[in-house]
Amino acid sequence: MKAKKDVQPGTLALMVLKTLDVMGELHGYGIARRIEQISGDILFVNQGTLYPVLLRLEQEGAIASEWGPSENNRRARFYKLTRAGRKLLETEKHDWEQKAAIIARFFEVKAEDLA
Amino acid sequence: MKTLNRFLIRLRNLVTGQRGDQRLREELEDHVAREAEANIQAGMSEEEARRRARMKLGATEAIREQYHAEEGLPLLECLVQDTRFSLRQMRRSPGFTLVVVLTMALGIAATTTMFTVVYSTLLRSLPYPQSERIVAIHDTRITGRSAGGLMTGPRFYDIAARNRSFSSLAILYFDESTLIAGKKLPVYVKGAGANAGFWDVFATAPMLGRVFDARDDAPHAPQTVVLSYPGWQRLFGGDPNVIGEQVKLGQQTATIVGVMPRGFSASGDVELWHAAQSTPNSWGNDRGDDQRDANVFGRLRLGVTLAQAQGDLDRIGEQLRREYPSSDGAWRFTSETLREHWYGNVQPALVALLIASALLLMIACINVANLLLSRATTRQREVALRRALGASGRRVAFQFCVESVLLALAGGGTGILLAFVLTRIAATSLPGILGQSGTIHMDGIVTGVALLISVATGIVFGVVPVLETRKVQLHSALKQGDTRLGGAAGNWLRSVLVGVQVGLSLVLLVGASLLAESLWNLMKQPLGFEPEHLLTVRVLLPWDTTPEAVANFYNDVQQRIENLPGVEAAGQISAPPVTDFHVRGSFNADWLPQVANQPAVSAEIRNIAGNLLVAIGTPLLAGRDFSAADQISTVPPFLVNEALVREYLPKGDPIGHHLLLDGQAHEIVGVVADVRGVSGTIAAEPGPVVYWPANAHGGWHRYFLVRTKVPPEQLAKSIREQVYQSDPQQSVGEIGTMDQLLGDAVAQPRLNAAIVVSFAGVALLLACIGIYGVVSYLAAQRTQEIGVRMALGATRADITRFFVRRAMVPAAIGLATGTMVSLVVNRLLRSQLYGVQPDDLRLYLASLLVLLAPLLVATLRPAIRAGKTEPMEALRAE
Repeated sequence: MKAKKDVQPGTLALMVLKTLDVMGELHGYGIARRIEQISGDILFVNQGTLYPVLLRLEQEGAIASEWGPSENNRRARFYKLTRAGRKLLETEKHDWEQKAAIIARFFEVKAEDLA
Repeated sequence: MKTLNRFLIRLRNLVTGQRGDQRLREELEDHVAREAEANIQAGMSEEEARRRARMKLGATEAIREQYHAEEGLPLLECLVQDTRFSLRQMRRSPGFTLVVVLTMALGIAATTTMFTVVYSTLLRSLPYPQSERIVAIHDTRITGRSAGGLMTGPRFYDIAARNRSFSSLAILYFDESTLIAGKKLPVYVKGAGANAGFWDVFATAPMLGRVFDARDDAPHAPQTVVLSYPGWQRLFGGDPNVIGEQVKLGQQTATIVGVMPRGFSASGDVELWHAAQSTPNSWGNDRGDDQRDANVFGRLRLGVTLAQAQGDLDRIGEQLRREYPSSDGAWRFTSETLREHWYGNVQPALVALLIASALLLMIACINVANLLLSRATTRQREVALRRALGASGRRVAFQFCVESVLLALAGGGTGILLAFVLTRIAATSLPGILGQSGTIHMDGIVTGVALLISVATGIVFGVVPVLETRKVQLHSALKQGDTRLGGAAGNWLRSVLVGVQVGLSLVLLVGASLLAESLWNLMKQPLGFEPEHLLTVRVLLPWDTTPEAVANFYNDVQQRIENLPGVEAAGQISAPPVTDFHVRGSFNADWLPQVANQPAVSAEIRNIAGNLLVAIGTPLLAGRDFSAADQISTVPPFLVNEALVREYLPKGDPIGHHLLLDGQAHEIVGVVADVRGVSGTIAAEPGPVVYWPANAHGGWHRYFLVRTKVPPEQLAKSIREQVYQSDPQQSVGEIGTMDQLLGDAVAQPRLNAAIVVSFAGVALLLACIGIYGVVSYLAAQRTQEIGVRMALGATRADITRFFVRRAMVPAAIGLATGTMVSLVVNRLLRSQLYGVQPDDLRLYLASLLVLLAPLLVATLRPAIRAGKTEPMEALRAE
């Protein structure tokens, strides 16, 4: 059995932003579900931790939310990306890629390269 | 921006109490329902599906906590919560709270008041525009005694003509005179003559009207007068229509042109300024010492430093020494900032008092820390319980800090209120220049600093109990009863605190004893006159009264006073002892070699008439007193004092010798005893004095000294009446007693001693309370240990000795350290001491005894009580 890992808080926010960017308007469960699928079930022990992150992103103005009708006779809170959120995603994405590229380069380095 | 936005949202949530609780619950429910549905579709039973969904969601409570944390401001919420809790704790133990708050308040009040005084005088810029550019310029004799820095008029005008450093120069001389306004009775006023430059140097706008300018200051211009605020109040009842009013000042007509604002005290407590109207030629060729009455101030040009200005003055002084060797040869100019000029004398005392108050604050804080520490120990179970319920160590520590800071704030607030009252009292009742109106007042900065200090002490000493809570062992603390045997941790901290406290108290006690001893030395020394039952009466005539009229007037008043019932003797003198009055003269002596331009004898000159020596009680040691004939002689004889004989004729008989002045030989007919404080302070050794028959010398301003058989105040009214009957145009100035003058003269040393003695007293009390508390606490903590020890054969005396040792070892270390610190710190007092050395061994021993005796009592009481413990009961208490 693969050991599940909890996502780092910052990373989770980025995943939320990207998910909303791709999927448009979505409720909390949908976002969680989506992240789980994409990450191939390795991440996310406590899906509930998603909600504080959503609240923070909303306070930061990156996403907006409103109540909307849900399929099971309940109302659900739907989240969508704002313009500021899109911009934030862009910069975060850029940062992340840069970081990943640097780390990747370090892994590729062999002893003789440094000689 | 983003962070600010988020903060604002959170703040709004906190204030409105708005919570997204409902929203979160709904969202979570929706989440679980969907997950469960998905699980059912995957083939699970409904129950299993919901269970799995919940598990996947995670701990709802933790999520809610996190969500809340995102929603509000957790730190602020904790603060609010802890504040409420702390206030409840304070209410629950009012005794403890009261003691802590009062102790803190005492320390803060003392420190704040002293800081206010120091700040008002030594730190805050003086109340004139660019006050740092104002310089006091003194005339100083190169060797020997000066005349209080006073300058002659011609030398002032020489500076004015030759300097390159000052944008304006002020000359100011004090002159009392009689003012007659309208049909009112003549009033004695303390005035000052000033040039137009005076107003440029101090650059303060008048409250009403205008100040005088160069045109008013020109010779023979109509005389103009500017009133000070107190003068305006006393002489004109604060009448705003006073501008333009004509008055008679010293029998000359003058116009009042302005009133200065309250607190403008650039020249002491004068009631008015009039234009000096002098020119470089006003003194003719007379550059002599009897013209030395000018206070001089200058405003530095922009960019000129004090050192540069002093260099400039040195250059001018050198030129004058060469040009006028006979009159100016012995003099040079010195300068200092206005602040040094005014407060330089009191600075060491103020700094010492500030340090003393800071020591008191530290002692108070240590007591509070000790109290907090003891309480933290008794609250270990509470701490353990809270920790067991999940509070983090940091959370508990935070709460304790909040409690300490709250206590400190309450103490600080009370202290500041107290300081406010004390400052108000100090502002009017401090002696000398410190008590001048508008000098000392509290402001936002002082209050802010005081609050900051209280919060800082709250945090620093709040850390102590926090350290204590860190050690809490959950399992042992939660068990009922404390079964530890001896070696309780935290006790070393108590010992250190006790040691420091005792040491600091010793420093204060030594300081107090030094100052008290100085005051005692100062007051008990022989004065050379009898201050009891002695009335001083200021009387003056216009300066241009003819010598005959002067003599007639004073002879008449002398007669009238002598005839009053209750008068034992009366005499006249140009200034009584302990008044700040300087008239110096230089003489040659017929028994000393005569060198051109270097007169051999320099002495203070006092004019006397009437029966002065008997009235003031100064013994005539040799020769005779002045006769009536001496008073009208053209070459009058002199009396000299012992100091003059000691200094200039140590091995001979002065009677029959002559002092030479302007080619005339004045015979010395008598020697009188030294009088202390001839030119001000009674701390100075008496210098040479020459007494001159007043009527022969033509002194138009005098004091009557009247020795009375009845309480002197009773005669004041009838003396005023007699002067009025003698000449209704004249006023009588202040009537006081010699005792009052003496009291004022020792006011500063008395105040220093009183303050430090009271600080030391409080420190002693606090130290006793501290050590008593610690020993009691130790004894209570070790009841069982005492039981065991006694069961194993320890006697009661052993137990008592044990506790005394526990308290006395740190106290002794504290005393040893305190002695060292005293030796260093009390050196600061050196300039305030009189007749005692700062390392006087007697006083150190006395202070040690004074401190040890009550400390021993405070230790013995609880220690003996511990010794009386019944071993069986102590053991059973488990």
